[in-house]
Amino acid sequence: MSRRGGLVLLAVGAVLTASFGVAACQARPAGDFESPAGTSPVSAAPAEPSVPIQDGKLPTATAADDSPTRLAVPALKLNATVDAVGIDAKTGDFAVPPSVDQVGWYRFGPGFSAAAGSIVVAGHVDSAAEGKGAFFRLGELEAGDEVMLTGPGGKTRVFEVVARERYRKTAIPLRKFFARDGDPRLTLITCGGPFDPKTRHYRDNVVVTAAPVS
Amino acid sequence: MRVSQLRRAATVGAAALIAFGAAGAFLTGPASAKANARVSVVHGIPGQPVDVYVNGKKTLPDFQPGKVAGPLSLPAGEYDIALTKPGDPIADALLTVDNAEVPGGANISLVAHLSADGKPVLTPFVNDTAKLGAGKTRLVVRHTAAAPAVDVRAGGKPVFEDLTNPKEAKADLDAGTVSADVVLAGSDTRVLGPADLDLKEGTATIVYAVGSAEDKTLDIVSQTITGLHSAPGGVPSGTGGLADRGLSLPWYGVGIAGILLAMLGFARLATGRR
Repeated sequence: MSRRGGLVLLAVGAVLTASFGVAACQARPAGDFESPAGTSPVSAAPAEPSVPIQDGKLPTATAADDSPTRLAVPALKLNATVDAVGIDAKTGDFAVPPSVDQVGWYRFGPGFSAAAGSIVVAGHVDSAAEGKGAFFRLGELEAGDEVMLTGPGGKTRVFEVVARERYRKTAIPLRKFFARDGDPRLTLITCGGPFDPKTRHYRDNVVVTAAPVS
Repeated sequence: MRVSQLRRAATVGAAALIAFGAAGAFLTGPASAKANARVSVVHGIPGQPVDVYVNGKKTLPDFQPGKVAGPLSLPAGEYDIALTKPGDPIADALLTVDNAEVPGGANISLVAHLSADGKPVLTPFVNDTAKLGAGKTRLVVRHTAAAPAVDVRAGGKPVFEDLTNPKEAKADLDAGTVSADVVLAGSDTRVLGPADLDLKEGTATIVYAVGSAEDKTLDIVSQTITGLHSAPGGVPSGTGGLADRGLSLPWYGVGIAGILLAMLGFARLATGRR
């Protein structure tokens, strides 16, 4: 009797421990990866020609529109509208579009046809009001996954994921991700990591970097 | 006795202060002296193209009014600058400035312009290249015209008041377009503008009022300094908590209970065998 009881306890205990293990494995976020190609800043100094001379005209002419309009990620079955956004005047933060099915392009940085620097698109992972966001599964992208950006006139640029990183918001190197020089790249940003239900904020940012496919 | 002790302490303290001060000066001195200055040249004298000589070397041939040249990268030091009519020898210069101080690491605009009473002069301005907050732009206005004091207005409201030659005024604003004009100080008498200024984010736009009110040659020359942008403060992009795939407390309870039960089972088995 006591032997059978022992076996039962052992079996139940093993099942519980195993299910804890499975849950723990599933809960573990996907690790960061980064392929070294395509993220080094360009530092080639051009030969000094004669002194450059500009016309001292007032800066009135606004450059042609270079806003991306759509972002598609086939691996996530994602196809979202891209809004041109700037800075939240109250906080100084990136003004991510409040609607969770839209993503925001940082209009002060490099645009759709940029030959250098980081084109930044940020989107909600989720929101308390609207549920899952366009970038809910951003952290599942793998190296080589394709990202398509559509620009003015329906032109499309294809990028390939080269890095996925997760940083605490207090330690994220935003200067690097918002750089306007260096190799051209597409940087996708959302939230991730542990959620604090009191402040209603995530602790981390998830950043995916994609390089243009030549 | 007491007094002499106090005095001694004070002397030691003073000596220490001097020593620290000297060390500080020594440490910070060479670093700032090493960096080159970035120097732009602005031509704000209407109707007179010039050759610009720096230390006797023709650096900008046939430099036209209204143009901005540079930036040149110059080591810190003193420079002799001369402006001549195109092709004229340096001895017949229209304007010379000897031993102009160029401090290391600074960003400077050398402006050839008219003084308030209409004489050609060369004025150096140090440009504020401090980083701007994300979304911001910097507007600098310099009065370098033979004209009385002016107010600069944006959208009809004075933003810089009572600006005189050769002074500047500046402000950091939200990036975007502003409609600006220049009026005689304290009046509605417009002397320049209105013009729509496209003030780009992360950029300093420097606007020079040049020319002469008397000769009706008042005009604007502008210079921009880019690359002063900063990254946003953060990217807040989730408020739902659905993406928190961390383990909640109950799961840890399940794990601990499992381990305890298994241990108990082992214990039973072991005692049962005995």
